[in-house]
Amino acid sequence: MIYYYLKLSWLSIKRTPMLTALMIIAIGLGIGVSMTVLTVNYLMGKDPIPEKSSQLYHVQLFTFGKGHGNDQTPDSFPLQLTYQDNNNIKQSTIPVRKTRSLGTGFSVIPDSPEQNPFMESARAVDSDFFTLFNVPFIFGSSWDKTIDSQPENVVIIAKELNDQLFKGENSVGQQINLNQTRYTIVGVTDSWQPAPRFYDLNNDNFNESALIFVPFSLIPRHEYPSWGNNRGWESKPINTYQDKLNSEIMWTQHWVELTSDEQKHQYQQWLNGYIEEQKRNGRFTHEKAGASLKNVIQWMEYNDVVSDDNSILVGLSFMFLVVCLINTIGLLLAKFLRRAPEVGVRRALGASRAQIFIQHLVDVGLIGLIGGLTGLALGQLGLLGVKALYSNYNQLVYMDTTLIIMAIIISLGSSVLAGLYPAWLICKTSPSVYLKIQ
Amino acid sequence: MLKMTNIKKIFRTSLVETHALRDFNLQVDEGEFVAVTGPSGSGKTTFLNITGMLETFNSGSYFLDGNDVSQLNDNQRSRLRNEKIGFIFQSFNLIPDLNLFDNVDVPLRYRGFNARDRRERIENALERVGLSARLKHLPSQLSGGQQQRVAIARALAGEPRFLLADEPTGNLDSLMARQVMQLLEEINQQGTTIIMVTHDAELARRAQRNIHIVDGQVSDYQKLQPVLDLAEA
Repeated sequence: MIYYYLKLSWLSIKRTPMLTALMIIAIGLGIGVSMTVLTVNYLMGKDPIPEKSSQLYHVQLFTFGKGHGNDQTPDSFPLQLTYQDNNNIKQSTIPVRKTRSLGTGFSVIPDSPEQNPFMESARAVDSDFFTLFNVPFIFGSSWDKTIDSQPENVVIIAKELNDQLFKGENSVGQQINLNQTRYTIVGVTDSWQPAPRFYDLNNDNFNESALIFVPFSLIPRHEYPSWGNNRGWESKPINTYQDKLNSEIMWTQHWVELTSDEQKHQYQQWLNGYIEEQKRNGRFTHEKAGASLKNVIQWMEYNDVVSDDNSILVGLSFMFLVVCLINTIGLLLAKFLRRAPEVGVRRALGASRAQIFIQHLVDVGLIGLIGGLTGLALGQLGLLGVKALYSNYNQLVYMDTTLIIMAIIISLGSSVLAGLYPAWLICKTSPSVYLKIQ
Repeated sequence: MLKMTNIKKIFRTSLVETHALRDFNLQVDEGEFVAVTGPSGSGKTTFLNITGMLETFNSGSYFLDGNDVSQLNDNQRSRLRNEKIGFIFQSFNLIPDLNLFDNVDVPLRYRGFNARDRRERIENALERVGLSARLKHLPSQLSGGQQQRVAIARALAGEPRFLLADEPTGNLDSLMARQVMQLLEEINQQGTTIIMVTHDAELARRAQRNIHIVDGQVSDYQKLQPVLDLAEA
């Protein structure tokens, strides 16, 4: 019977094209707007590295002095580490992998005179960074672990930069001029743009990933500037770069990979021991002094990657969908009541109330399906609009299969919901009212 | 076969209470051709609606082919209506978007026949009314008489035991009306019970039995005879 109902629905659509078009537009607009907002919201909070997000931990140390704290986090912990603490905790052998990390940037001076110099963001990391975060390589690999302690001028560049400077050819072994210093390329990564950029949530959660990676160990040699946030609490003058390295300024990050609860426990104990050791050295004087480990999802929640504003926006967009559906109910009533005489005939010929009810729900479902597809198209337009307005949301402006299926389900579900009352009204009406039997 | 006893039907609004049928008694036997006449507002429509189970009644009993209609739910009534009753309306009531084949198909769909059975029944029914060559035509492409024949084919396709006809010739010219009436008589001769509401005295006289309804009750047939004679004269 469903095929029969679908056939009748199609005839019904052809019979009332304008009314149907209005309904499709109403549902399409509602779905389009809500799916645009939902897509951005969903992708903002999506697990960026599902295969190991529960094994990767961001390390936080409460290094503030007495009377200080971070009023932007719920537990007052700072979001970043001092350079000296980052180096110290790197000594632990418990994590399977570990990396220090700092956002920086360079002036890239191409060897070709035809290309102009340009600024490019970069990241100073350890060799484990790439395996820890599953960064794919198309040429070469990470630098040797020894470079993490004995620095050399090596660099890994991303595909996008390799395409720009070397026309996509294998550039491993070639050199690149960064801030007037020549670095040897040891690897080229494939496109890698996790969204949100979970490994550095201090500087815009949805910015694109850096295209240049240099050894963290080169920081003292080349005095890389921080292209991210710096937070200090000590009132000591910073006159030289070395002063900054030795200071209590928090400007670097540290990630570790721990593959079991036991390992995590051991590492937590190790960090507690480190805190106690530092206390004995006269640091970490705050009573809250301690260490905190947060996996990727916890770290995103802690940083409010999906803010309350976004959730409110999703709510508002769904309210708009409800308004569209209320309009659709009105249009459905008009459409169905216009067809009431036919319903009377069908009832007289043996259709039960339930059959009439289902026929009309199928009718609404078909309209909802077409409305949903229209909404998906409008949603794509909406996402293009978001992309045009907010370039840093580039990673968030696509609908994956889950979202497309969700859009169809929401559209079908909400349309059928909107059709319940009109369908019930039409099926409960006495057929004799519409039949001229006299 | 059809037995109504003391049927009462009251229509109520906030201001008025209308007794459409009161102590209505009627028995129709298998194979009868019954004409129902009466003035406007006498209750003919209500009688036909209740007979076709399109309306419920307030009290009394109604047995159709052994089924106590008052005890049936909507699904059961619809099923019984679909299996036992065929409707023919004054204004044909064909569905304008559906071609003849699909119009005749409507009651068969609800009956649950498979595609082959449906096709066979539809073709037979349309052949019986002389329209088998126009399966794909839309109702709007037919004359009034042809549309009424399609409506008859639709009513017959499910092989009902009852045919309820509401002024079946009301919208037709005299020639067409005669043809339709002839068709109904043939159908009746083949065993289908027919109850026909009509204002046409000549048609009423062609039925085996006449029922006159006045003020919601069956009136004495004898009282009707002078009226019919007058109409004939």
